[in-house]
Amino acid sequence: MCPWQIPMLRIISMAFLFCGFAALPSVPQTVRSTSPENLDGKPVDPFASGSGRVVVLLFVRTDCPISNRYAPTIRKLHEKFRGKADFWLVYPDAGESASRIRTHDEQFHFVIPALRDVHRELVKRSHATITPEAAVFDSAGKLVYHGRIDDWYEDFGRSRAAPTTQELDNAIRTALDGKPTVPDHANAVGCYISDLK
Amino acid sequence: MNFSSIKQIPAGFLAVTIVFSSFVAVSFAERKPNSQQIPSHVTFSRDIAPIVFRYCASCHHAGEAGPFPLITYGDVKSHARQIADVTSRHLMPPWLPSQDGLRLEDDSHLSGGQIALFQKWIADGVLEGNRDELLPAPKFTSGWQLGTPDLVLKAAAAFDVPASGNDVYWNFIFRAPLKSSRFVRAIEIHPGEKRLVHHANLLVDRTQSARRQEKSPGSGFPGMELQIESESFDPDGHFLFWKPGSPPIVEPAGLALRLDPGNDLLLNAHLQPSGKAESIQPSIGVYFTDQPATKFPVLLQLDNDRALDIPAGDSNFLVSDEFTLPEDVQLLAIYPHAHYLCRDMLALARFPDGAEKTLIHIARWELNWQAVFRLAQPELLPHGTTIVMRYRYDNSSDNISNPSNPPQRVRAGNRAVDEMAHLWLQVLPVASAADSRDPRMILQEALARHHIENNPDDFEAHYNLAAMLQLRGATREAVQQYQSALALRAGDAAVENALGGALLAWHQIPEAIAHLTAAATARPEYFDAHYNLGIAQATAGNFPAAAQELTTAVKLKPDDAGAEANLGAAFAELGETQKAILHLNRALQLDPGNALAKENLEALRGAAPQR
Repeated sequence: MCPWQIPMLRIISMAFLFCGFAALPSVPQTVRSTSPENLDGKPVDPFASGSGRVVVLLFVRTDCPISNRYAPTIRKLHEKFRGKADFWLVYPDAGESASRIRTHDEQFHFVIPALRDVHRELVKRSHATITPEAAVFDSAGKLVYHGRIDDWYEDFGRSRAAPTTQELDNAIRTALDGKPTVPDHANAVGCYISDLK
Repeated sequence: MNFSSIKQIPAGFLAVTIVFSSFVAVSFAERKPNSQQIPSHVTFSRDIAPIVFRYCASCHHAGEAGPFPLITYGDVKSHARQIADVTSRHLMPPWLPSQDGLRLEDDSHLSGGQIALFQKWIADGVLEGNRDELLPAPKFTSGWQLGTPDLVLKAAAAFDVPASGNDVYWNFIFRAPLKSSRFVRAIEIHPGEKRLVHHANLLVDRTQSARRQEKSPGSGFPGMELQIESESFDPDGHFLFWKPGSPPIVEPAGLALRLDPGNDLLLNAHLQPSGKAESIQPSIGVYFTDQPATKFPVLLQLDNDRALDIPAGDSNFLVSDEFTLPEDVQLLAIYPHAHYLCRDMLALARFPDGAEKTLIHIARWELNWQAVFRLAQPELLPHGTTIVMRYRYDNSSDNISNPSNPPQRVRAGNRAVDEMAHLWLQVLPVASAADSRDPRMILQEALARHHIENNPDDFEAHYNLAAMLQLRGATREAVQQYQSALALRAGDAAVENALGGALLAWHQIPEAIAHLTAAATARPEYFDAHYNLGIAQATAGNFPAAAQELTTAVKLKPDDAGAEANLGAAFAELGETQKAILHLNRALQLDPGNALAKENLEALRGAAPQR
């Protein structure tokens, strides 16, 4: 029933989505091991699904308080750019199970699809170091911005009453317009991805 | 007929009170190695765990406010770089005072050696080390930390914390259903979801005065700072607080807190939205003791709010205050308080010989980590010592905590965008053989006069000074001070009532009636005003008016024996004997020992024997 038996990497991910992972026991371990997964354990390539679209990755963690306090902001940005840019929540902690993430996303009213990036493929591609941190890729799949969402937090426990900059919003708009993003990086405040397993 | 004199002491005390919290004892042995003692290989089991158990785990364990647990090797390893970063910059553990002040209980300042251990642990590869060297992990009890409370009170209604937005300050009122006065040795506060509650402060409201701010009974009300009224000189001498990770304080013998029937407990909670909509419904556990209070600490408030007028953009604005103690005191605890613009706080003592000693110094103030700081040992501050408060404020846009962007001119006030410059000291006055007055009153009177010197427009200071003067019989000066308070807040029901009461005590009856009428008009449900007006009218011989006011008083507070007794007396004067007997008997039902009711009933029986 599944005619594609190990073609090229990106395409096989799509095939898995269609056929179901368990049905393909002959898939080489190396392919399984580096791809981000959705919450059903299926490999997903966030760049393949919407070719030619701007992709926004938001690195988050269920137990990071700053990451959680950003949930309403992230939801608003998602709503603002719905239909224009593809948003993904990326969970880089291998220790966070799919069911824990699912519960978390329900509690925080996220309708953005979630990925478990347990092998840090997306972390590396985005140069992400912190949760929460955002990465914006233009329609050609090129990283045009990575860093904080805005300047609400200056440090742990030190936040402004309201942010005075909107780096992520700006980066998405310029990426949609096909213009260069300035700045292309701004340090985020939150939990260290390098501490994770 | 006899009428009681003013039974409700019309003088009230107003206190602006704030958001307290504190640190308490933790049971792990301190280990503060200096840099020479750093081992060649740092391991979790031997070197890191003792620090984490002592300084981090009380908040960072399941069910507590810390967002993730820090107990096991795996827990700590998964935040290792973050811990090394936040400890190196003294962001964690949260401890505001620098090391140049008095020695404080539970000082959680990490030494340079301890901080270096975290750095080296990472450099060495976050090793677990030999598990045999690991101390037993601290055990934490869920539920009531002090055992089953004698009384548990739950907030009548939950408060919904929004998913996003700025910090929220909400007040819950707990009605304490006591039948008789009790002494309290501890109060344990369960604020609800601890991740949302930054800290909370509990106040005793002896006159249910805060209930007026509730839209409906039990609903609670918003507000960062509270003002509560008291009918007698009964200043709060305790800091009742909650902050994450701190077990409740058990008051030492003799320092118990008195709780009377009808008292409310107010919980002022500082809440922080978590990213999802949540609701909290705090509860408190009260632990009684049979040991009555024998020592009466006082909370002294130094402030200079009048000097708080910070130009927009000013990054180094100084506010200071100096108060000279009129008697010897033992300093027990310090609570510095300001809002978001304050940067640096210094409190020092200048002794009579001119020598100075730093009491507390906070070089980087953070409202979020405010606390009550208890002294490791009481500090004697002799009579003539001057307490000096120096606070510096940064109202520039470089201060990221600045609630206004761009910065605005900021003055003193209760809102988060306003500022405060307060230094609270918990002191135990040392009674002097030379002065028979309550040593607390000597302190508070000196302080009220000091506040008025600082700021002639200080309403609370005039009001409280008046109340104290009235209590010690200086009625004429009390009236002047009430008049000053009234000039600052024209038509204020509490002041009108207090001034009316003072004039009544001074036998200035027409003036008393005018002010009491103003009080009852300003606040028609004000029992004290109607009661006192009833007494004033009776004193003036206007018994129909007296009966009318006292009828209103009885309706407002049906369980008040004094109101019933006086209403009975008024009806007796009007010749309405049956009504008189009815109300006098009610007074005796409410209070079988009510002398006025007994006396008047006997007088009635003498005049008109029972049929």
